[in-house]
Amino acid sequence: MTSVAVVGVGMIPFGKHPERSLVDMASEAAYLALKDAGIEPAQVEAGFFANAFASRLFGDLTVGQNVFWEVGINRVPVVNVENACTSASTAFYLGYNMIAAGQAEVVMAVGAEKMYVPELGLLDSGLTELNTQLGLVAPASFALRAVRHMTEFGTTPEQLARVTVKSRNHAQYNPFAQFREPVTVEEVLAAPMIVDPFTRLQCCPNADGAAAAILCSPRLAQRLGRAVNVEAAILCTGNYENPQDLVRWETDYRACGLAYERAGIGPEDLDVVEVHDAFTIAEILHYEALGLCAEGEGGKLVEEGHTALGGRIPVNVSGGLLSRGHPPGATGLAQVFELVTQLRNEAGGRQVAGAKVGLAQIMGGDKLGDTKSCTIIVLSV
Amino acid sequence: MNLEATNDIPPVVPGIFTLPPYDQAPPKLLGGLCSDCNKRYFPRPRYCPVCLGLTEETVLGSEGTIYSFTVIRRRPPLGLPEPCSVGYIDLAESGLRIFCLLDPATIDQLRVGLPVRLAVGPLGHDGHGSPRLRPYFTPMRVDD
Repeated sequence: MTSVAVVGVGMIPFGKHPERSLVDMASEAAYLALKDAGIEPAQVEAGFFANAFASRLFGDLTVGQNVFWEVGINRVPVVNVENACTSASTAFYLGYNMIAAGQAEVVMAVGAEKMYVPELGLLDSGLTELNTQLGLVAPASFALRAVRHMTEFGTTPEQLARVTVKSRNHAQYNPFAQFREPVTVEEVLAAPMIVDPFTRLQCCPNADGAAAAILCSPRLAQRLGRAVNVEAAILCTGNYENPQDLVRWETDYRACGLAYERAGIGPEDLDVVEVHDAFTIAEILHYEALGLCAEGEGGKLVEEGHTALGGRIPVNVSGGLLSRGHPPGATGLAQVFELVTQLRNEAGGRQVAGAKVGLAQIMGGDKLGDTKSCTIIVLSV
Repeated sequence: MNLEATNDIPPVVPGIFTLPPYDQAPPKLLGGLCSDCNKRYFPRPRYCPVCLGLTEETVLGSEGTIYSFTVIRRRPPLGLPEPCSVGYIDLAESGLRIFCLLDPATIDQLRVGLPVRLAVGPLGHDGHGSPRLRPYFTPMRVDD
């Protein structure tokens, strides 16, 4: 029996919002989640607010109290969460655990980020870290995995490009996505090279955005209706062993395995999947870690269309990070928004027919050739 | 690229490579060795994460092979040359696989499995415009 349910979600379209503040975007997502759930602010017993970069970019801190106050949530515990690209999914994880532990009946997780900043440059994993000082930027971290995957398994640039092509095909049906125009393999490969072998169209675009989810106990969920069950919420940290295998990513495999074990399911039970496609190779690696295909066959899986809408196991029908855009503090909850919308059968042109079980995977940060954080959330109806 | 390391420019991070002058002894990477379980690390941690023993500074050598590499073609960070190259190197002596810069002058020669040797030179800045010595690996010459 599940111990936690999602009863409301809210999200604003991701993209350029130069006129909006972080609090303004976040409070709208929170408001929409309250209205979606039919929950009053006074019923919310704790708030978790996720953001990764505002302290560095704007000198902000403890933003969550500002956000929750704007939607009438005060006095209760509020926690500000930073876990790189898994910040929002970590906020969800904390809310899940609070309810599962019987410490609250209703909890809200909100994530927001403003990433359209002039001269931002390529993201890193922390300015004082050795690898950052030696030139490691996020696209390079994944490019090094791509080069190994291409070397060991013969994965091709065209297969990488197909991840973007699929993403854009899906995103044209998602009004929350930043880039909704379909592209061809040729256009992806002809875009300016950023970090070999990734052209610009193989790197997720920065975005401003916010998303929110309300979690509650099953007792209350029964009364509210439209509830989606949380079958698992997993948070793993890297192992940081040396040497790291850059293509058989133990932390990714371990997190996926734990999620399947906790949810009592396997890859064959999934209907719809959202993964951390920050760069094209990432989606291919996550296919393999999730067991959607055999090791090394991720390129072939996307090439043959199995992960497209209408295929055997649709992945990133939202458009993923590559088309929706990536506000790191919000993306994890945007994935939850997508899965809840799918499982409620309300996804319109991108609906996966009859979806009953969905999984969201995301990673954040880089340390010693491993990730700093990996979360998996499994939802069902 | 002939990047002359000088005594005037500080290392990007202290304690990760031997300091110039290098005319008598070429640069070597420095890491940590656990005094209790003999495990090696780069960079050196205060305690051994495996057994919590104290670590001591150890020489990790200067040779290895490229495990993976890439080229950053747009806006590399910290004043590094555009384009610049980074990769993971499998160190010959310790067996450690470490992230490092690769010689920006030899980008066209890079491939997985290529034998490389450590060099140190002024590459990029400290984030505020002051030059820094950084380690980078360069392809071994035939006479190496």
